[in-house]
Amino acid sequence: MSDCMLRLQSVTKRFGTTMAAESVSLEVGQTELFALLGPSGSGKTTLLRIIAGLDAPDEGRVLIGGRDVTRLPPYRRGIGMVFQDFLLFPHKTVAENIAFPLKMQGKSRAETADDLKWVSQLVRLTGLEERYPHELSGGQKQRVALARGLVSRPSLLLLDEPLANLDRELRKRMEVEIRRFQLELGIPFIYVTHNQEEALTMASRMAVMREGCLEQIGDKLALYHRPATAFVAAFLGSPNTFEGDVVGVEDGRAEIAWHGHRFWSRAHDGLAPGLRAVCYVKSEKIAFASSGAALAGRLRDTIFKGQYADYLVCLDDGHEITVSAAPDLCHRPGEAVGITWAADDGDAFPAVGKE
Amino acid sequence: MSNTVRFWLMVLPGTVFLVVFLLLPLIAIVVFSFWRTESYTLIQDWNLDNYATIFSHSAYLTFLARALVMATCVSLVCLAYAWPVAYFIVRYGGRYRLILLLSTAAPFLTGEILRVAALQQILGPIGVVNMALTRFGFDPIEALMYSNMATGTGLVYLWLPFMVLAIYLSLLNFDFALLDVAKITGAGPLRAFVEVTLPLNRAGTAIGIVLVFIPTLASATTSQFLGGPDGALYGNILARQFGSTGTWALGSAMGVVLFLASALALVIVWRAVGDLRRSGIVIKGAPKP
Ligand SMILES: Nc1ncnc2c1ncn2[C@@H]1O[C@H](COP(=O)(O)OP(=O)(O)OP(=O)(O)O)[C@@H](O)[C@H]1O
Ligand SMILES: [Mg+2]
Repeated sequence: MSDCMLRLQSVTKRFGTTMAAESVSLEVGQTELFALLGPSGSGKTTLLRIIAGLDAPDEGRVLIGGRDVTRLPPYRRGIGMVFQDFLLFPHKTVAENIAFPLKMQGKSRAETADDLKWVSQLVRLTGLEERYPHELSGGQKQRVALARGLVSRPSLLLLDEPLANLDRELRKRMEVEIRRFQLELGIPFIYVTHNQEEALTMASRMAVMREGCLEQIGDKLALYHRPATAFVAAFLGSPNTFEGDVVGVEDGRAEIAWHGHRFWSRAHDGLAPGLRAVCYVKSEKIAFASSGAALAGRLRDTIFKGQYADYLVCLDDGHEITVSAAPDLCHRPGEAVGITWAADDGDAFPAVGKE
Repeated sequence: MSNTVRFWLMVLPGTVFLVVFLLLPLIAIVVFSFWRTESYTLIQDWNLDNYATIFSHSAYLTFLARALVMATCVSLVCLAYAWPVAYFIVRYGGRYRLILLLSTAAPFLTGEILRVAALQQILGPIGVVNMALTRFGFDPIEALMYSNMATGTGLVYLWLPFMVLAIYLSLLNFDFALLDVAKITGAGPLRAFVEVTLPLNRAGTAIGIVLVFIPTLASATTSQFLGGPDGALYGNILARQFGSTGTWALGSAMGVVLFLASALALVIVWRAVGDLRRSGIVIKGAPKP
């Protein structure tokens, strides 16, 4: 990457026997909003702390703007961070908390006041400036933490689940604002979340993390539509899972036999005829078909979700498949339906562990 | 009804304690301070002579001033010494924290007289330090022998554990992760200490200062053993009134003056702490400004 701002080179961090980060290599560009997605305990916070310099990696190097900062203390790195557990200063008012980075930078009173006003409006904290943190709700605390991270205009901003405690309305608005702010500043944001919707909305590129390893890094659409590992395929979206036997592999496709049905899907490394395979198909990629359907069944239930609905289809042999589609399809419970999907919409991986 | 009973059951022990051990003696010395002593007996004869004596003879006030200076110096030395000790124990003590803390109180296992006597063996003219110096051909350090320096050293040694304990307890409640925030926002270690660690432990530190300052102000034993002929403090003169001279009324008046000085010190320290919210202390149910 030519405009690489942050580079991690095989960063490893152990806590006792836990591998919190295992040989993580990563590059983030100058103007990128990079999302780090992963389940709880996968090492996201650990990675941010290593980038920030709060923890030293056991192995590997951290480079910011081409400079090796692995041994540099946090206060020399010029990084901003929004902490997952807020960490507001209890003895300072909201205004003082937000202005703290400015104070450390030695900004003038006028500049501080301007920045403070601007950021309070941005995160909608106007009117709460004189309160102490214990007088705030969880969401308000989170907004103060976010404001404190944004206001410092760092060369790199790390955000650890900055919107987790906000209501949907505010979250949607903040997502847009953070994205806009990032473009305006022209600095990279590393955005940690376990909410994939948030990651997919905001990020340009993203990585999925699992047990300290980066499973896949890349364009968010690539990760979503072309998962490279079974974990990523299962983690993103809400896929249906089919575990069956590989009948044949050709041209990067595999034919899977699953409970007497046969279908094709994209084949990933390690598949060979005779092996067990797990195939993931995202529920919105499955469509109802009146003729030429791959599978037939009856509609058991419809779960209305607002912009779409989940249709639970019970196959004749008792297996249940979820189909996400427009909410106004006039299928009734009990109605016979056929479903189908394109071969490229399935991703088959060798099944591991369970034989 | 039962709530009232419960209220009194909870309030009673503390009230009884305060009345019996604080209020009654205090009232007694206030009353006696306005009486007169004649040939070792208190005589109920209301007058202000005792106070007149204290405030007209510069000797009494000089001794009080010396005690105040001594208490201030001892508190400051304890403060400077206890902070790193407490900080180290809390931050790096791990599971040995409690043992490390208790070990700072080890001198207390021996009792007051023995403790002072032990210091005499170290600091005095024939103490370890000066003996060693003489042995190797150096002059003994005069300041260590029967001087205010010796008294101060003894008092620091005596009260340091209280200061360590107060700061230790305060630091136990301190969220060290807040220092991460300070560091990330560009504060070096010193700045982070001044902006975050110190304010959030100000109340605990103030308690430590009070715990050292007030007993030091009243102390007599240490200066009696280590201070030498010119090392007497207010406490020694006060004790003399109840001992050899038997002027109990004057002693009581001196006690009242000491009490007021201590109370004043308490108020000053409390004022210095200021708004408790600035120390990160949450007062539940406090009205919002
Ligand atoms: N200081 C520590 N001591 C020991 N183990 C730790 C420490 N910090 C993290 N871990 C372990 O390292 C792993 C990764 O933790 P981390 O906090 O990075 O997860 P995370 O991805 O941020 O999770 P979450 O989404 O729940 O915040 C976890 O198994 C955790 O228990
Ligand atoms: Mg985390």
